[in-house]
This record gives sequence, structure tokens and C-alpha cells, in this order.
Amino acid sequence: MLRLSMTTSHNGSATPLVRLEDVGKTYHMGELDVQVVRHVSLEIYAGELLVMVGPSGSGKSTLLNILGGLDRPSAGRVWFRDLELSACSRRELTRFRREAVGFVFQFYNLVPNLTARENVLVSTEISSTPMDVDRALALVGLTDRADHFPAQLSGGEQQRVAIARAVAKNPELLLCDEPTGALDYETGKRILRLLADLRQQLGTTVLLITHNAAIAHMADRVVRLRSGEVVEVHANPAPLAPEEIEW
Amino acid sequence: MVSVLDRKLLRELRGAGLLLAAIASILAIGVAMYVALGTAHRNLSHAQQRYYARCRMADFWIEVKKVPLSELEPLARLPAVVEIQPRLQSLVTIDMEHAEQPLNGLVLSLPDQRTKVINDIVLKRGSYFTLARQNEAIVNEAFARRHGLRPGQALHVILNNRRQELVIVGTAVSSEFTYLVGPGSIVPDPDHFGVCYIKQSFAEEVLDFQGSANQVLGRLAPAARARPQEVLRRAELLLEEYGVFSATPLAEQSSHRFLANEIQGLEAFGVINPAIFLAVAVMVLNVLISRLVDQQRVVVGTLKALGYTDGELFWHFAKFGLAVGTAGGLAGCVLGHLLAEAMTALYRLFFEFPTLHNEFYGRAHLMGLLLGMACGVMGTTYGARHAVRLQPAEAMRPRAPQRGGAIALERVRWLWRRLSFGWRMTIRNVVRQRLRSAAGIFAAAMGSCLAMNALLLARASEYMVHFQLERVQRSDLDLVFRDAQGLEAWDEARRLPGVDHAEPVFDLACTLRHGHRSHKGGIQGLAAGAWLTMPRDASGQRVRIPPWGLVLARRLAEKLDVQRGGWVIVEPTQGLRRPVRAPVVEITDSYLGMAAYADLRYLNRLVGEELSITGVQLSVTPEWGLRRQLYRELKQLPAVQAVAARADMIRTVRDTLVKNQRVFIGLLVLFSGVIFFGSVLNSSLVSLAEREREVATLLVVGYTPWQVGGLFLRESMLTNLTGTVLGLPLGYLLSVGITIAYDTEMFRIPVVDPTAIGLVTLCLGMAFGLLAHACVQWSIFKLDWLEALKTKE
Repeated sequence: MLRLSMTTSHNGSATPLVRLEDVGKTYHMGELDVQVVRHVSLEIYAGELLVMVGPSGSGKSTLLNILGGLDRPSAGRVWFRDLELSACSRRELTRFRREAVGFVFQFYNLVPNLTARENVLVSTEISSTPMDVDRALALVGLTDRADHFPAQLSGGEQQRVAIARAVAKNPELLLCDEPTGALDYETGKRILRLLADLRQQLGTTVLLITHNAAIAHMADRVVRLRSGEVVEVHANPAPLAPEEIEW
Repeated sequence: MVSVLDRKLLRELRGAGLLLAAIASILAIGVAMYVALGTAHRNLSHAQQRYYARCRMADFWIEVKKVPLSELEPLARLPAVVEIQPRLQSLVTIDMEHAEQPLNGLVLSLPDQRTKVINDIVLKRGSYFTLARQNEAIVNEAFARRHGLRPGQALHVILNNRRQELVIVGTAVSSEFTYLVGPGSIVPDPDHFGVCYIKQSFAEEVLDFQGSANQVLGRLAPAARARPQEVLRRAELLLEEYGVFSATPLAEQSSHRFLANEIQGLEAFGVINPAIFLAVAVMVLNVLISRLVDQQRVVVGTLKALGYTDGELFWHFAKFGLAVGTAGGLAGCVLGHLLAEAMTALYRLFFEFPTLHNEFYGRAHLMGLLLGMACGVMGTTYGARHAVRLQPAEAMRPRAPQRGGAIALERVRWLWRRLSFGWRMTIRNVVRQRLRSAAGIFAAAMGSCLAMNALLLARASEYMVHFQLERVQRSDLDLVFRDAQGLEAWDEARRLPGVDHAEPVFDLACTLRHGHRSHKGGIQGLAAGAWLTMPRDASGQRVRIPPWGLVLARRLAEKLDVQRGGWVIVEPTQGLRRPVRAPVVEITDSYLGMAAYADLRYLNRLVGEELSITGVQLSVTPEWGLRRQLYRELKQLPAVQAVAARADMIRTVRDTLVKNQRVFIGLLVLFSGVIFFGSVLNSSLVSLAEREREVATLLVVGYTPWQVGGLFLRESMLTNLTGTVLGLPLGYLLSVGITIAYDTEMFRIPVVDPTAIGLVTLCLGMAFGLLAHACVQWSIFKLDWLEALKTKE
């Protein structure tokens, strides 16, 4: 049985929201074993904005998938509060994703034949504590585009729909996989602003992975990855506003 | 409230319109066949049960020369016999003023006053006999309708060598004549054959049968109905001295046998045909859903990431199939009901029931709908399972390139080197897309199996008519005498106006025995050198009647388990009835009845008769004036019991059986065309959707849309052709199976010209495939290839 405790909010406290203990991930490709994540130990605290940076192939996406319950580690253990994700069944992981996590993908991953509102509904319909869909769309500034299909929206608008979809179920953890990766500079910045604002308003813990080192400047903490290993974790004493970041 | 995933589903269903319509059509046909055949089966069998109960249908018929009614007591006391009823019957010629030629009829006696009888009648018009006249008659409804006979009108028959006037008081139907065929015919022909019921007292008087009968009907206790042989054997022994011509249980009664065969056939076809269509629909739908799931990899992954469970996703895709299945099921129910209506209308032409309606059987429709839905869901299982198995993390990663290694055929280098680039691409695609190719081959095989089977059956009935009624029987008119005559009757017939040639015939009613096997039938004695009846073997070669010995039809020889050179015992059912041995000297082939032939003189000698004949076959001038004169004379000849015109028989068979069969066979071919069309369209459009970029690239490098279309055509034709070729032997085997199932003593369906029909089927398969390809080619023309090039994989 999944034991999700959604009551306590930690902000810089000693009790982490997510904990990784010596996590490793190996893919078997034919006769070849490719180790994409090795010996990663990390803690993520409630309410913080953590940015994970690293070049392509550094294992960021794999770690994000493990944290989001999309994939299982080959080694080590992962906890979400007191729930050990690495020991969960498929069903338990599904429930974890349904109740606790919101995903924002690089290519938005909207359902093409559903409108913006319906794409948000996809998420709220299965959530036990959903936000009102119109509120979610208002939060991302898309009230007037709610009945448009993805093909009728710009890249930035599509990503905003994806963010609305992610936050609409009031997740404790928002996982963003290169959320600006497919966007131009200005739009990318607007998306980062939106994420920062939402974190402020909703108190959601945000984990953002990117290969763009400049984005790290807006983080509370930064984790640097290289070749599947954590090479540096540092706190950012004075995070910058997204508008101040240049790349 | 429609869930958001259901809205997605509805939009996808709308988007895949043409493809889904094709698959739903295949499903609909399967369900329609199930519903139609099931409904027609119930219509017929319920009507039969009601009718038999209402008329108190006999369980056996015993025909005797003449038995005093007082001698029937022991028969009535047989343990299993519940009730017996004697009656009189006589074959007659009917003289209708408006009809040029004499018509044939059967006169039967009924009690003067209405009482409970076996094989009762159901009055349609007019009344039962009254006290007003002795010569009242009730005529069977179809005959009356065809000749415009109404109560109050008079009718003339030659009854016991005397021309008798009968006054019609009513028209009726009876269960024993549900399928009413005249002697020697295979289809009902109310134009030329009718049944007249007359008062028992009048029949006794005109037939000189006071206090006696020539037919006994009986009903058995329910327990004895399944095995009436023992009762009939004892009955024959009891009536032996009165000259038993035949003892027929219900199962062998001609009307019942036709009806029961049809009901049984509907039951068998009601399983085989729908199963073929539904299996094809399941395969084809699987191809489509697999593609859909593949196309929606990322959506599936995202939904999983959002927290949708495997069950929810499986159900989401299963609903796709459920929707197609429901649509196909509903359409199938409507189509099935209409088809059953058409079939029932057709049955009304052949079978005469008091009422035969196309009923609505909720259960058949519900089952049809459920079958459609179940097949729809089964059609999505493979693809939906694939969606469930997909790992969310893996689903959102770019797809690994498809397996691109060499295929087995490439190892045959000398062959591979000879293939063009286009063919190599085609063969690789066919081999790599295993599910799709297998579905295409399976569908084409089933389509070709059905088409081949339908065409073979169509050819068979044409051939049967041609072989039996044009090549074996070649006379224009057959006269049957009431009693055996001397050769002078033949001489007289030869001199009738308009007769070009006449041949005497001696028909001997007898039982043939070989070991413990026996067959009750007859032997036809033909004059040496006769050419108006020409027995033939299967290859169409004439089989000459030898001066001694018997020529048996192959099925009769098989039934008796006797070969050429063997001996059989001939036990005449008339005359001295002394059993004699006769050698089997030749085997012939026959598709109607179980014929046996012998030389006329030999046959007479064999049974110790003087040289006598029972009928004459005539070749008649086509000149209409002389024919009319001949018919007029024949109507006046009391010795003639029946006149059969071959041309009429051929026309009736062609007008009813063959023509109607053609409609249904045409429908079957069309249905199999839906399989070819639907399957090729599905696999090609799915393939096109998958390879839009490849198509766009080929167009960019300078291929014309026709050339690109050619690549798809090759692929679809390769699977289509392979499947069609594989289906041909299946269709042949199915036809052979049907001929075995329908191999009755009355007729055998031949399987003829399988090679030519195979070629026609092949052409049909290709034609339907090309038609589907035309839609694919149109899609290639329509393709926005610049957009396709931008499409993200």
C-alpha cells in the first residue's frame, strides 16, 4: 500500500522530501552494459528550486525519470518522504505519479487532438486534489486560448499548457525536463518566470534539469552532473530572477 | 459526462473514418451473416415446427398396390404406432383450358367431412368439402394462384382413365408439401404440377377402391421417431401381400428432406461464414490499433507519467475496438435483418407455409452485437497490450531505429542480386512488418476462399442443370403411362403429331440389395441405341447401355458398396416381386437422384415380364402448331399419367434455383470483395501513415507520385496475391466439404472447373485490391510532403 504523507511542508529543514542513496542505472544494450547513472546520493527539500545541470548524456533525464517514478534504479534506493520508490510495484509507482508528481517535458507532450483545456483535464480527472482547470489555465495566462488545439498554439503557449497540466493536480514535486529546450530565448525566459512564480504561489518543490548552465543561477541549489555522477552540489545564496539571466 | 480520454477517442475515431469504415464493414458483414443465417434458420425451423404440429405431419408413408381397410388393424396395433390413416392417391394429368400442354397433378383423398387427420390441410381460401356435390376439390394454393383458380371454378383431370370434372371449393396448403416437387423434378413448379384433394367417397368410387386404400400414413410414439426403420420393416411384412411399393420415413420424405437440408445448411453456414469475416476483422483491426498505439507512443508515455494506470490505458484503446465493434455490430444487425428478410422472401418462393414471416429474434441480434463488440475488443488486444507494456520513460525517448538487418532471402545472393531496388524494398518491408503482412495474407486467403467457394457453387448448379437436363436427359417430352403397356403404345406415340423420334422406356420400381445394404428406387430400361437418355461418366463421355447387366450411378454403387463386375439383387416392388440377381457392368455419374439403367429387353426378361413399357420419351418438332396439336392429343389420352417437358424443367430450375442462387452468390462475392478491399486499404494506409517521411523524401528526390504508389502497390499485391493463392485450395476444400455435407440421395453438388474458377478468383482478388490501392494512390497525391518532411518522429 502506498503511504503518501502530504501534510508537512519542509523548507530548508532537515527532513528531505526526496532522498537518493547510492543510486545507479545501467541499461543493457545487446551485449553491452551502459551505466548512465552511478553512485548518486542526493536530497531534495520541500519547497526548494533545484536545478540539475549537465551536458547531454550526463544522466540528468534518467535521474529525473527515477525521481518521478517513471523508471527504477538498477542500484541504490530512492525515497519520497517515507515511501521507498525503488521498492514500489508498478501500481504503487502509478499512484505516486498520479498524486505527487507533475511533469513538464521539453517537447510539451500534449495530446494533439485535445484542446488546451482538455489537456489540463487529462491530469485533473485522475487527481484526488485537483485545481480548477480554469484556474490552472489562468495561472499560466491562457484563459483565452483554452479551446485551441496544440497545433493552433505557439511553442511557448504549448509549454504553458503543459505547465498548467502539471500544476493542476497540485503536485508536491514538479519535475521539468529541459522546459525551455525547444523554445526561443524570450519565450524560454517567460517560461522560467512562470515556473518561479508558480513555485512562489503554490509552494511546490521544483526540480529542473537543463544543459543550459545559465539557468542554474535562478536555483536555490545546483547539482552538476557529468558522466552519470554528481560532481558538485552547491547552494545559491542569492538566486537571480529569470529576467536577469542571460545565455 | 464524457471523460477527456473518451473525447480524444471520439476525435480519433472520426479521424480514422475511411479505415474504420472498412474494418467495421468487414465486421458488419460477419455479424450480418450471423444474424441473417440465424434468423433465417429460426424462421424456417419455427415455421416448420408450427406447421408440422398444425397439420399433424405423418412420421411415415407406406404406398401399397391396394389394401382393404379392414386389414390395417395389425398395423395400427404395432407398439410404436400411435395412429394410422389410410388414403387414396393417384397421379393424374390436369387439363387446364388456358394451358396448351397437359399438366401433372397428384390427387389425394380426404374425409368427406372435416375431421382430425394426419397430414391435414390448412385452408387458404374457400371452404372444406360441402354436401352439395360429390366431385368437390381443394387445390393446393400455389397451383391455384399460378393458374388463377378460385373456389367455384371447374377443373378437369384424367382420373382412372376417365376425364373427370372437379369443382373447386377451396385452396389449401399442407405440411407434407412444404416443398412440392413433381416426379423427376428438383424445384417446385406450380406452373406444371399441382395437388388436388377430393372426397374419400368420391376417390373410392372413381378409382374403384371401395373399402381399400393405396397409401397409409402413420404417426409414431415420440421415442420411436428417431428410429422408424424397425417399425417400417414390420409394417412392410404385415402389408407384404398387398404389394408394398415403398415405406418412407419422415426423414426420407422428399419435401421434408429438402426443408431439413436447408435448415441444417443454414446452421452450418451460420457458423463458418461469419467466423471467417470476424476473424479477418480481428486481424485487420489489430494492425490498425498496433499502429495507433505506436503512433501515440509519446502520448501513452505522458499519460503514464501523469498517473494513468495500465488498466485505464488498456481500456482506452480497447474502447476504440469496442466502438468499431459496436458500430459494425449494429450495422450488421440491421443488414442481417434485411438479409434475413430477403432470404425469407426467397424461401417463400420454394417452401409453401401457411405463414412464413421474417421474425425479429432479439437473442440473435443481441448475440450478433455482442459478437461484434467482442471481436472489436479482441482486435485491439494486441495493440492495447503493447501500450500497457510500454515503459513510460522508454516511451518518451526517441524510438530506436527499426530493425534494419538483412532478411533471410538476401542470403540467396543469386536471386537477391537479380531483384530491382523497388522489389528489394518491397520484400524487406513485407518481411519486417510481420503482423501486418500476416494479417494481409490471412485476409486475402479468407476472401479468396469465400469467393472461390461461392463461384464454385455457382458453377456447380449451372453444370448440374446442363449435365443432367441437357446432356443426360435429352428428350423434349416424357410420357409416363398409368400401367405398363405393350410396344404398340410406343408405336402409337411415334405417330402422334409433331413427334420426330420416340423411344420406349421401362421403369422398374424395385429394391436393390448388395449384402446387408439396400436401396429403394428404380431401374430405367432403355432401348438399345437410345439417345434421348444418355448416361454419362464424370468426364462427360457417353456410357452405353450394354445388352445385359446394370449400369449404376456412382453414388448408388457407393451406397450399395458394389463395384463393376459385382452382383446385386433386384427385388421388384410390383408384379411378381421375385428377387433376381443382376451384374453391375458399368458405372455412370449422375448429379440428380440415384439412377440405374439397363437394356429395356434385358430388364423385362430379368423380371419375367413380357416386353412391356411404362413410358415413352419423345423428341418433338419445334414447330409450334404441331406441338399444340400434340398437346391436345395428349390431354385426351387416358393411358398417359404424366407428361414432363424437359424445357419447362430447365426453365423452372434456371428461373428459380439458379437465378436466386446467383443473387446470393453475387452477394457473397461482393462480401469477399469487402475483405480484399478493407484489408488492402487498411494495411496500405497504415503503411503510408508510417512512412510519410520516406514518401516525402522519395518525392523530393524526383520520384513521381505514381512511382511511389507503385512501391505500395507492390507490397499490397505481394501479400494480397500470396493470400489469394493460399485461399484457393481452402475455397476448393470448403466446396468439397459442402458437397459432402449436401450429398443426399436427391442430388450431389459437383465441383467443376476449379482451375478456371481459381483464375477468376485470383483476378477478383487483384481487382478488389487495385480498387483499394486507388484510394491509397489518391492519398499519395494528396500528401502534403513538405509538411511530412517537417514531421517530428
